Amino acid sequence: MIPAEPNFHPIPGGLVPCPVGPDSLRGIKRQQTNPSRWDGPDWQQFVAAARERDINVRETTTACGVFATDAGGTAYGLPHGVVIAQSAGQISKLLKVAQEYRVPVTVRGGGLTTEGESVAFGGVLLDMTGMSQVLNVDPDGLTVRTQAGIFWHALAEELRRHDLDYLSAPLNLTSSVGGTLGVGGIDVNSPRLGCSADQAMALQVVTPTGEIVECSDTQNIELFQRVILGYGQFGVITEATLRIRRYTPLRMHYFYYGSLCTAVEDLQMLDRNDASDYSGILTIMDRAVNLLVAFDSVERETEFHKTWQSKLRGHGELAFGLRTLARYAVRPWKYAEAWYLLQRKRELFPEFRRSEYMRDSLMHDRTVVFSRAVWKFWGSRQMVIPDLATSSDKFVEAVERGNAVCRKYFAHYTLYCVGIKVRLEHRPHYEMSCIPPDAEGWAYGCEFEPVMDDGIYSRDTLQSFKNEIYDIGVDLGGSYYRFGGMMKGYIRRIFGDALVDRHLEMKRAADPAMILNRDVIF
Amino acid sequence: MSGLLRGNSPISKTYADCSGCSLCLLVCPVWRRTCDIELTPHGRSKALQNDVRPADMTISIQSCTLCGACEPVCPERINLTDMVLDLRRTLGPPPGFPTSAPESRAGLQPISSAPLLLRDRALAANPEVLNHTATLLGGVMMAGDDGSDIALALEAGAEISPQRLENFLTSLRRSAKLIVADGLLLRHLARWLPGAPLVSLGEALSGLPEVRNSLRATDLYVIEPRAYHADYQRLVKYYDGLRAARACAFNLDLQRIAIPPSAPNLMQRLGLAPQDNDGQACWILHGRRISRIVVERYEDRTAFENVSDIPVMYLADLTEAGAC
Repeated sequence: MIPAEPNFHPIPGGLVPCPVGPDSLRGIKRQQTNPSRWDGPDWQQFVAAARERDINVRETTTACGVFATDAGGTAYGLPHGVVIAQSAGQISKLLKVAQEYRVPVTVRGGGLTTEGESVAFGGVLLDMTGMSQVLNVDPDGLTVRTQAGIFWHALAEELRRHDLDYLSAPLNLTSSVGGTLGVGGIDVNSPRLGCSADQAMALQVVTPTGEIVECSDTQNIELFQRVILGYGQFGVITEATLRIRRYTPLRMHYFYYGSLCTAVEDLQMLDRNDASDYSGILTIMDRAVNLLVAFDSVERETEFHKTWQSKLRGHGELAFGLRTLARYAVRPWKYAEAWYLLQRKRELFPEFRRSEYMRDSLMHDRTVVFSRAVWKFWGSRQMVIPDLATSSDKFVEAVERGNAVCRKYFAHYTLYCVGIKVRLEHRPHYEMSCIPPDAEGWAYGCEFEPVMDDGIYSRDTLQSFKNEIYDIGVDLGGSYYRFGGMMKGYIRRIFGDALVDRHLEMKRAADPAMILNRDVIF
Repeated sequence: MSGLLRGNSPISKTYADCSGCSLCLLVCPVWRRTCDIELTPHGRSKALQNDVRPADMTISIQSCTLCGACEPVCPERINLTDMVLDLRRTLGPPPGFPTSAPESRAGLQPISSAPLLLRDRALAANPEVLNHTATLLGGVMMAGDDGSDIALALEAGAEISPQRLENFLTSLRRSAKLIVADGLLLRHLARWLPGAPLVSLGEALSGLPEVRNSLRATDLYVIEPRAYHADYQRLVKYYDGLRAARACAFNLDLQRIAIPPSAPNLMQRLGLAPQDNDGQACWILHGRRISRIVVERYEDRTAFENVSDIPVMYLADLTEAGAC
């Protein structure tokens, strides 16, 4: 790790180290894809035409500067102007004018991409959070119709007033509904319910040429299949109808492992047997591997205790603590690592047991608890979260190989593993997505997240780390959650030319000027 | 004055540390109303990171309600309220704000060790309610110098003379307990008088058994946001205890952040622009099944009375209404 404020000593007659990070530019093979900035011909004519159609294009430094980067903080770019989404009609007019003047339109929801997918390298930045209204809640039919720019948390706030909840969403409060449906969305109940995008029943979409279309599994089917998990290539999702459910607090249980392999095998055993309502793995490096298991009802919890708990090879907190203590007692050269584990435990564990969220041993508002912890303990100005998605049988190998790469690059990191139920009826949605084509029953995903602490890493180092993880995916024939933006160089390697060319043809037909979310995939 | 405030400010991180997580948007009343990221802490931080001048962000800086909801949720622990106050001082008070120096209030109250009640503007305008509140609290003295001019200057970004501030603080230093109605002033007093026995008026009243026991399970209890967020880590547990004891509902969102009943911008708060219905009270009431609204801050009654027929009571008046 590089210290936060390194001293730069110019080498006489040589190059001054890159101020981004002294470990940069040392022969690392560059495989990243940096979009070039659109050079803006006809921008002023475009703005004039847009304003004639009552579209407010903000061009101030303030307006554009807000969107200079995404959650990853490694891709920087400024739009020429910003439009705050207000209605499907407004977006339709915007896209029609953009097609005419060939101006790129980058769509942004929560901006939680990490590879610059929601960063505009020139052109228009369309801020979808302007469309954040819940349109209709149907407590009897258990559905909600909402504008797609809304944050999942804002949707939860509305639903909770009716004692309802969404089915599944990323463990992140500021993901937007539209953005999530466009890429997948993984929750700890995905092993039972599939990804968040699987919960969408119908969408209102504005196509790249400005048509406003309602689509679902029965209406404009092909558009629905391409927009769901479509990385924003085939339209802007403006409204969504989602399945919802009655709100329930969680009955949480934690099991601790010293082995990634054992924990992953136990996770898969639980998933295969539908033994829990929620499951996932969260680690501190590969030293403290936490399998979390949770339930919506006492009946399911009782059944787990009766049938499945004894089959898990993990330990309770005390037993695991004693085993870890014994392990480090005979390895004095590892005391620094032991100290880190202890400190991390002291910081993290209380966050998951805050009294205002725990009542009668039940966890309320799990997304708030998890998301606040995620940002508090893993968030920083720079975030890289390469991932691997594979079929069940390849997953242990993917996790172990990815873990070895993490160990090589970083002192501290976290792995987050979760299963995703593959919905047979949604196979067409999964084409060229994070769901690997060979997944049967469940796909499994693992995120490899370095803990940056106060270190500064060069983009080269981070990119090199990501490449090594992604190369494992190519080797195993898997897929990725984040293959757009700067990682789009992997798309052909992982999906093959035939499939990518077919999607490219569809894209060209749907978006003649290739303006919508340029450089994310194509 | 700036130096004094800055010198006492616990700012450890600044806008430069904002990672852009957007968690502040979820609790920001200005965001709820406008869906305009430029008017949020996130927007101001990112603009400043891109070298935008404060003068070009005047609308955003004045739009902040100083409710402080963004601070407890900020994972970077940026002191976002201080950030806005600093920016307001940079801009100076808005046109129409009185430019004359605040009157000296030295000698308005004897230096005493008795508990002191520092009223806010709404209570000062309603002597009967103020007297009843003081009586209920038992044995408190009304502060002759309540620092209302200082609170107003803080809010507007106006200068406060060091002498005026020192006079005010001197009058408070020996008091056994300071009960403060103005949330923004309370926040600053905690810094100016470290270790002083400070408590918000809402906490002081809700701690009285006769008030506490008058709360019903069908009440909506409206916490005053500024004081609550300024001492969030402690008060979130305090109010969770009150919820457990009385089973009433609160104006808290899923993050346990207090939703302000109204969200006036600086100009509206200073009376330089007309008030309007900003939808905050409606959002607090939305979907709730309650029979009575109980407000900690006297001024908050109006926001609910304007949008609902549900009876609204000031917390200190609960004892007269009796328990159910």
